[in-house]
Amino acid sequence: MNGVLDALYAFFVEKLPYVTIAVFFLGVAYRLQRWFSAPKGPDGPPLDWPSAMKYVVLDVVLFRKTYKTDKPMWLVLVLFHIGAGGILFGHMRGFHLWSASMFEFLGHGFAEFMVHTLPVYIGWIFLATQLYLLYRRIRLEGTQLQSLVNDYGALVLLIITSILGQGMRIFPPEAIPPETYSVVFIPNLIVLHLEKVPSHHWFFWHVLFTQLLVMYIPWSKLVHVISGVATSALYGSRRREYDI
Amino acid sequence: MTSNGAKEALGKLTRRQLMELDTCAHCALCTEYCPVYTETEEPGHAPGVRSSKAVKLYDKQHGLRARILGPKAVTDEEIEDLSDSAFNCTLCGRCMEVCPFGIQTHELWSKVREVVHDLEGTPRNVGMLEEMLEESHNPYGLDPDSRLDWADFTDLEEIPEKDESEVAYFVGCTTAFKGANHEVAFATASILNLLGEEWTLLGEDEWCCGSPLLLAGDEHSAREYAKHNVEVIESKGVKRLITGCSGCYRVFKWEYPKLLGEPLKFEVLHTVEYLLEKLGSGELRPEKTDERVIYHDPCELSRLGGLIEEPREVMAYLTSDWVEFEEHGIDVRCCGGGGLLQAANNEARLAIVKKRLDEAKSLGAEVITSACPSCKLTFVDGARIHGVDIEVLDLVELVARQLDIL
Repeated sequence: MNGVLDALYAFFVEKLPYVTIAVFFLGVAYRLQRWFSAPKGPDGPPLDWPSAMKYVVLDVVLFRKTYKTDKPMWLVLVLFHIGAGGILFGHMRGFHLWSASMFEFLGHGFAEFMVHTLPVYIGWIFLATQLYLLYRRIRLEGTQLQSLVNDYGALVLLIITSILGQGMRIFPPEAIPPETYSVVFIPNLIVLHLEKVPSHHWFFWHVLFTQLLVMYIPWSKLVHVISGVATSALYGSRRREYDI
Repeated sequence: MTSNGAKEALGKLTRRQLMELDTCAHCALCTEYCPVYTETEEPGHAPGVRSSKAVKLYDKQHGLRARILGPKAVTDEEIEDLSDSAFNCTLCGRCMEVCPFGIQTHELWSKVREVVHDLEGTPRNVGMLEEMLEESHNPYGLDPDSRLDWADFTDLEEIPEKDESEVAYFVGCTTAFKGANHEVAFATASILNLLGEEWTLLGEDEWCCGSPLLLAGDEHSAREYAKHNVEVIESKGVKRLITGCSGCYRVFKWEYPKLLGEPLKFEVLHTVEYLLEKLGSGELRPEKTDERVIYHDPCELSRLGGLIEEPREVMAYLTSDWVEFEEHGIDVRCCGGGGLLQAANNEARLAIVKKRLDEAKSLGAEVITSACPSCKLTFVDGARIHGVDIEVLDLVELVARQLDIL
């Protein structure tokens, strides 16, 4: 193993997480400051919780509007977001937020399927939908849309992270030190427990790009993950006020 | 444009609108539903591209780089570009209905127009509207004395202009000054008289509601118009204000309270609501027509005004044979008459209305009806220019005709 590379990999795991968290929260603070420093404007409709929740579920969770207007795209978006949610949920097992035993009541075979087989397929679907979204963006560029750098930045970063993640699955595991089984990002706080040894290089580059992605969220269009809920809630409140 | 001027203008975007601009993923899912883009196919007219342009200019003055290294100048070309995008829009709000995040684009694009206005980038024709409004309090530059000419042209016998009245009819400029709409005012007045309603017109004291000023991005002047109209209406002790213009209705009902910072002391009704009330109570009993009628939802009345079922309930009293456009109700496709598009790009307006008229004809409609003088004017212009054989009537005209008073 190359000494420089080893040092780099150690940095990705031992030091970079602190930078990641700092940059992420700095980004959140910047974004909130950016919004709240703008004038409040005339009072919009008061937040109507039932209607706000209704449209958050219909529009953010179920993509009602896209279903109405573009069904193939709706399918892509649903698969993409199921992929994102599934991958995120799957990673939580590595951080011991849940365990495979929660599926055991449905049978051992089902639990195995849920934790070992399904994630592989979800990973491919997630990656395929990202590539389609990139292709679509390039195809429509200059005619129907004018992307900003961060529109591509977020998508490209996600694609690289996903490719590296899938690479871990398809390339054979390498002999790595046993301590890699528990990857301590931040002692007693963020510790990843791996039950299989992943392919070494793919793993560490995946770790790097995942952290870059996390850092990038509040600075990029990925902020819509949070703000999109707020805009949909405000839309729902408006519909309530107009009684439509 | 000086850096300070640009910073101040772009700084008018509210926190909700800034959050919306940051949320817009530039996914282009709205593009195919934008009536203007689908006709012009100009990338700059796509709503998502407008969002990109606006956020880019905002960031030049207020973004992170601008905060650290200082703002970058906004060039004349950029202002012109944003202006072209902002005014090639009917402000119909369809993109809001399609947007996966529910971005309230009608208000967002209005604010972008306000930014363009402050950056002195308003298109010449739209700027002329503002000048005419300043001179004559109507966007057509006509003498305020002629505001009641419609009554003379239609031989209306009673033209009430009272000092006090509980009901007032706010005619609106496009109804009062455009010949194609004079019978809309006549029909409304005739129905009020038929019902023995104690009502009044505001006469020369009626000013434009301010909608064109808001559409042109001049919120400051629109506030002055709102103050004037509300003062006149309240001085007459009016409890119910009726208007047949969906633009006036939306501005009175939804914008005046925001512009004035307080709720209005009188009820605002669109003619459609008033008609439904009187049809429901049996005070009006129109005969049903045998003609096939199609109803077009005015954007400002339906999606942006909240009246979607009411006109359909009125229609049920008028005909048994009525059809719907494929895109109707909250999903209505604009006729092209909104957002001052006529002033900015009349060619696009006429191309948009052609599609609507062609669809109406393909559905076998003999009469196309709406509840907005701008829609009526656009349909009349479109039918004439494209040679489409269809009768264009406002809903109130249809009621009056079926009551045999028109």
